Formats: sequence, structure tokens, C-alpha cells
Amino acid sequence: MPENNSRKVYVIPCSGIGKMYGLLGREAVLKTVKELRPDKAATMCLALLVYGDNEARKEIAGARCITVDGCPKLCAAKNVEHAGGRVVEMVRAVDAFRNHRGVDAGTAAHLTAAGWQIAEELAADLAAKVDRWYDAGEE
Amino acid sequence: MSEEGKISIGLISCSGEACPGGTISRLATQKVLRSIRPGYNFVTICLPLFMAGGEEERHFARHYPTITIDGCEKCCALKATEVLSGPVSGKVVVTDLIAGEKLGEGTLATRELTAEQKAMVDQVAAAILEQVDKINREG
Repeated sequence: MPENNSRKVYVIPCSGIGKMYGLLGREAVLKTVKELRPDKAATMCLALLVYGDNEARKEIAGARCITVDGCPKLCAAKNVEHAGGRVVEMVRAVDAFRNHRGVDAGTAAHLTAAGWQIAEELAADLAAKVDRWYDAGEE
Repeated sequence: MSEEGKISIGLISCSGEACPGGTISRLATQKVLRSIRPGYNFVTICLPLFMAGGEEERHFARHYPTITIDGCEKCCALKATEVLSGPVSGKVVVTDLIAGEKLGEGTLATRELTAEQKAMVDQVAAAILEQVDKINREG
């Protein structure tokens, strides 16, 4: 496969700053694109995209995108789609808690050890999704 | 004014998923939100939600003093707030305070923060609080 950024799968978190889920989703995305799948995945500033930056919109146009949202408003999914990205997976950070009910994962400002563990699990799930869509080519 | 006679101030931070300044902005904003500042009630607003049509958020920014915190010179938070809700009461741009080469490139997870970057967070938080003081002085 050629090393071409346009082939990469974009993983874009919501920018939720007020709740722990926003932080957890964001950290999971950063781990995915930086550590787990740097050759296959990239991210982008959601605000830049929403603001209508031409370069950002051009980059995302038609690209396969996995969005990660921290709240039911689904800003990332809706805005990425509106900006022209192809949302192939819509992930909610809260779903990563299915096996961790009642756990203290931290706050909007910092994650606890348990929170980091959940973020790592979410990152692994995102990496698997990236593999699936990257390997699927341009379907 | 809001509850208990405190002055409500909105903080709108970019989250710059793709640049270190975004992480610094976000953490500095969180620091201010958690800071004990008698007489003030800090409120944060998710930028993409605000930009995508959050009427409650836009109304707040229109009627209460608001400070934008941007991680890079594109100033998504500042521009969007001015377009959607009118002039801001204060602004902080991380790249105006810290040279780009010091900030580095690429994404920055909160776990990766160096002592130098933590000091940058403190510096940006102090700059936000300076804007708060300015709002107080100017009424």
C-alpha cells in the first residue's frame, strides 16, 4: 500500500471539554493515531472542520472517518458528515463502559488508572476498526 | 450575573486534536474552570457544538462575557464566536504566548506532557485569568 495520507482512515473525536467521556474518547483517539496505527490512521481538529477551513474540508472530502463522541449530541459524527467526510463507524465513548459499570474513570480534566485502562481498550477497538476500513480499500 | 451573585464568564477553548496547542488550551481552560476565583462562575462551552448550532451556547456567548482560547493562529474559537455571537470579551492564543518550535508538532496526549509543557499550561491559564481581571476592570 502506498504511504498516502488520503488513504488513511480518519479517527476524529468530539471536542467535548465539559465531561470525562470527551477526554477519554480524545485520549483513545490520540493513542490510536499516534501509537497503534500511525501508518493507517490520522486525526483532524473537529473545530477546524466545522469552521469550514478549505484545506481541512478538502482533506476530509470522501475520506473514511471513524468518529468518537462523548455525549448523545454526536457533534463529531454529525459535523464530519456535514463537512463531507464519509462516516463509516460512529463510536460513543460511553459504550466502552459496558464492562466497567460504576467505575470511577476520572473527570473532564484527568483520568484515573481505571479511566486510562478503558481508554486503552477503546483505542484497541478503534485500531481494529481502522484495520478493517484501511484494508477494505476504497470500497 | 448568575447564581449567588457571581459573574458568569464563558470559556470557549479549541481542542486542537491535531496540534499541541490544542491540548495546552484545553488543559489550561480546565485549570481555570477548577480554580477558586471568588466572585466568578466559569462556564465552558464545547466549540463544535457551539459552531454547529447549539442555541443555548450561542445565547450564552451573546449575553455574557466570553473568553476564547485558541491553540494555533487559525483561531477557530475566536473567529467562530465573533461570527456567531459577537465580539468576545477576551482572547488567548497559545502561539502568541509560546513559540511554535517550543510547542512542537503533531498531536499531544495528556499523558505525554513534559514538565516544560505543564509549565506552558500554567502560563496559558495565567493569561486566561489576566483576561478575567481585564473584564472585571472594564466592567
